[in-house]
Amino acid sequence: MPTVLFAVPVLVLGAFFALAGRSNSQRALAALLTQAIASIAVASAVLPVLRGGSALSLAWSSSSPLGLVVFRVDALGAFFLVWSLPMTFLGTLYAVGYLRAHFDAGRNGGPHFALLNMVSLSFVVIYSVQDALVFLFGWEIAAVSAWLLVIWDYRSQKIRFAGFNYLVSTHVGLFVLVAAFMLLHSKTGSMSFDAFGAYLSTPGRTRGTVFALLGLSFALKSAFFPFHTWLPRAHSAAPAHVSALMSGVIHKAGLFGFLRFALLMGKPDEWMGWSVLGFGALSAVAGVLYTSAQRDLKRLLGYSSTENVGIAAIGFGVGLLGWAWGNPFLVVCGIGGGILHIFNHALFKCLLFYAAGAVYRAAHTIDLERLGGLLRRLPRTGVMFLLGGLAISALPPLNGFVSEFIIYSGLLVGGAPSALANASLVCAAAVLAFVGAVSTLSMTRAFGVAFLGTARDASLHVGDDPPLTMQWPMFLHAGGVLLVGLVPGAGLALSRGATALFQDQLSSLTEGTLLSTLEPVVWCCRLLAGLLLVTCLAGWRLGRNARRQATWGCGYTAPNSRMQYTASSFSAQFAKNFDSFLPEQRREKLPTEVFPQAHGHIATHHVDAVERRMFEVLGQGESFIARAAGRIPEQPRFAFAAGLLALVVIVASLVGGLR
Amino acid sequence: MSIAWAIANVLTLLLMPVVLVGVINRVKSLWSGRRGPPILQLGYDLVRLLRKTPVYSTVTTPIFRIAPYVVLVTALGSGAIAPLLGGPALASFPLDFVWFAYVWGLGRAAMILGALDTGSSFEGMGASREATYAALLEPVLFLVAGALWLTTGSRTLCGAFGGHVTDGPSLVIWGCSIVALFIVVQVENARMPIDDPTTHLELTMIHEVMILDHSGPDLAALQMGAAVKLTVGVSLLAALINPWAGTAGLPAALFGVAAILAFAVAIGTVESLIARLKLRAIPKYILAGLVASAIALLATTWRVGAVE
Repeated sequence: MPTVLFAVPVLVLGAFFALAGRSNSQRALAALLTQAIASIAVASAVLPVLRGGSALSLAWSSSSPLGLVVFRVDALGAFFLVWSLPMTFLGTLYAVGYLRAHFDAGRNGGPHFALLNMVSLSFVVIYSVQDALVFLFGWEIAAVSAWLLVIWDYRSQKIRFAGFNYLVSTHVGLFVLVAAFMLLHSKTGSMSFDAFGAYLSTPGRTRGTVFALLGLSFALKSAFFPFHTWLPRAHSAAPAHVSALMSGVIHKAGLFGFLRFALLMGKPDEWMGWSVLGFGALSAVAGVLYTSAQRDLKRLLGYSSTENVGIAAIGFGVGLLGWAWGNPFLVVCGIGGGILHIFNHALFKCLLFYAAGAVYRAAHTIDLERLGGLLRRLPRTGVMFLLGGLAISALPPLNGFVSEFIIYSGLLVGGAPSALANASLVCAAAVLAFVGAVSTLSMTRAFGVAFLGTARDASLHVGDDPPLTMQWPMFLHAGGVLLVGLVPGAGLALSRGATALFQDQLSSLTEGTLLSTLEPVVWCCRLLAGLLLVTCLAGWRLGRNARRQATWGCGYTAPNSRMQYTASSFSAQFAKNFDSFLPEQRREKLPTEVFPQAHGHIATHHVDAVERRMFEVLGQGESFIARAAGRIPEQPRFAFAAGLLALVVIVASLVGGLR
Repeated sequence: MSIAWAIANVLTLLLMPVVLVGVINRVKSLWSGRRGPPILQLGYDLVRLLRKTPVYSTVTTPIFRIAPYVVLVTALGSGAIAPLLGGPALASFPLDFVWFAYVWGLGRAAMILGALDTGSSFEGMGASREATYAALLEPVLFLVAGALWLTTGSRTLCGAFGGHVTDGPSLVIWGCSIVALFIVVQVENARMPIDDPTTHLELTMIHEVMILDHSGPDLAALQMGAAVKLTVGVSLLAALINPWAGTAGLPAALFGVAAILAFAVAIGTVESLIARLKLRAIPKYILAGLVASAIALLATTWRVGAVE
């Protein structure tokens, strides 16, 4: 344990040197060096814990107001620590290349690097401390550092607004968290997690309230729907590495908090499992629907975080249900799959944001409607983005598929006590399938529009692939994506200790369960990968003498790049089916006459429905309700009758199921 | 699984697609009063295409060249776990239908990217439609597979689709599954009434417009991939009605082949008799499949209640 806490002074020292350094390279070096030392120290200390060793712990008796503070790193904390620090290190390395233009213009990067150090420090605190007050300190360090990192370009009003929006939202979450802690403190008279755990393990109404408050707070932190409104703005405003770290690493603290308190709470009630599952499914669906229609590449990736934490929460919900029902296999699949998905998401989401940053650096825009044909200018970035996009769509043989497959095996094992519950789990699996398919749509759209075809804006001047400091973080993340996809044992080695904590009480299953569940599908994935490689090489050979011609224009002889399908047109048909989630905002002046004299214009945006409704309700109140009431038809129509019929069928089968 | 059965499956996977497409085209010709091309026409086409040199658009990147082979491999990969002849598949493991669906997804992603790579507005249009309908359709397959699994207790594709009807509720499940799966096959394989494979207007195409720029061996791979995918989808339907499903033997195989060919005749007939749906109406058609599969799933709870 001292080795883990040794990281704290090292990181503080690094932050100090980053502020005091004379040139930007010195400042960067100070941050990178201390983060590397801290990462190695922490990793070397927690690896034995991950391998099944006992938890590290240290009690530190300080003067008032903290009192006795216990630090303890169990397998759950160790899992989060072991990748959070190195990934922050890679983000810092990326920053060196990404902010180069600002540095050349004379900007002082010291505070930025110091803040990245503070983010690392907050991980050490949050993932190891067992005391609510110190936990809140760590929580606040992470939140404020992230805010200051977001507003790097503080001269732009838009970015300041996005940062402020984030700051307010994250503190609303903090208030809820403080409320939960106050409630627990009033019941236990202590701030230590052990005392909280002892109180929470007895079922009761207060336990339910605390669970709801904690769930709300952690959901705000991890940007679950409908608490995600700060997220798209913050992610599109922040520098690429900050978006990557926030989405992939920092906001996983919310999920960590959830898991920590689920552990403290012990055996959950059944409704908790169902609500987590439902909430996760809602978040996954809403998040993925939002990704399908975004124009801004980083905003799109931001929404996809909402989707992926939702997927992890589906897993956690299954795990909690399994725990409540006393079914260890569900616990292993649900919690294990969810935890692995957190790690996988960190791998591919950082990769995607880094690639998006490389696009921004080269083209100075990430508006999909202007991009196109980047793959020829940025081949390495393009391949990295494609890899990340396929992985995030959970396509085999990459890592996203592995964790989702584990969650599917929990959903589709028939572990529920009633037929109706089993059918509900199948529905959740169908929801997960829908999320995967829409994610494929969004990612093929993002990659296809930005990297394939030709640039839609002829005035766009695109540079080259980014420098090596930006490429290496991408390569390493891509390596992780491939490794966990083809050798899931590597990912499970990190997560299995944490999973095992949840099945202490009912441990008849060993860590081999997941591996043996995965064994056949992993072999299929490897075979598929091999077959793809061989066939594509053979196909490549067949086309080696090919001629080059212009794209077939279906008889039209003067096509230009403005006539390509755009990002908006690609998703228009899909988005139209979900217009309550994806309200379209149009500003247009269309030409009217047969031979129009004046130029027309049209601009479309898909705005955030929740944010819009929020402001609508706040601002217009009464008239909003009047309009909603006006929507109920006076004459029932076909849709109404169909809905009624569906209701009858559902009720009939419910009765059949219960009887 | 005996070696003979495995060989029979592999042969079905490689040869049946050619025959299936031939039968469909022959049926369509007969309906329109023509004699039509030979049954094995697709085979001749493939051989001829393989000998040709492809032409690539100047806009394209290596993605365009790789995509057709990804489509082919994923179609074959999904065929390896499908009950092609009604009996056991070449490979089978718990939850293989999840793998099945995601492998189809990979093939679709390759297809879409290959189309977008040409920078053609028409191909982008097809890609957009393909992605949209596939996304709307995805839950149907899972609901059907889930309902059949809850009925048969088998979590493999072969087992779940090879179960036998024993009581009233499972008859409902079975019937709804067939309806839903038929819609899945129509949409996934871009057949009528979703897409007209023989249309000559690019604006109305889905699948055909995405392969406009492919030529030579690449086109052969795409056509074979599409035919294999169709065969695999139809074989799932055939397994559902196969009374010898689940057994590896001559009766199962003979009935399996006959059922696949019967579905080919049905597809040809449907395509000859009805017109393509308006594009706007397709989501509603898919919704019908979703409702059918949801009824199948709900009927599983009814069945458990009835058995108890």
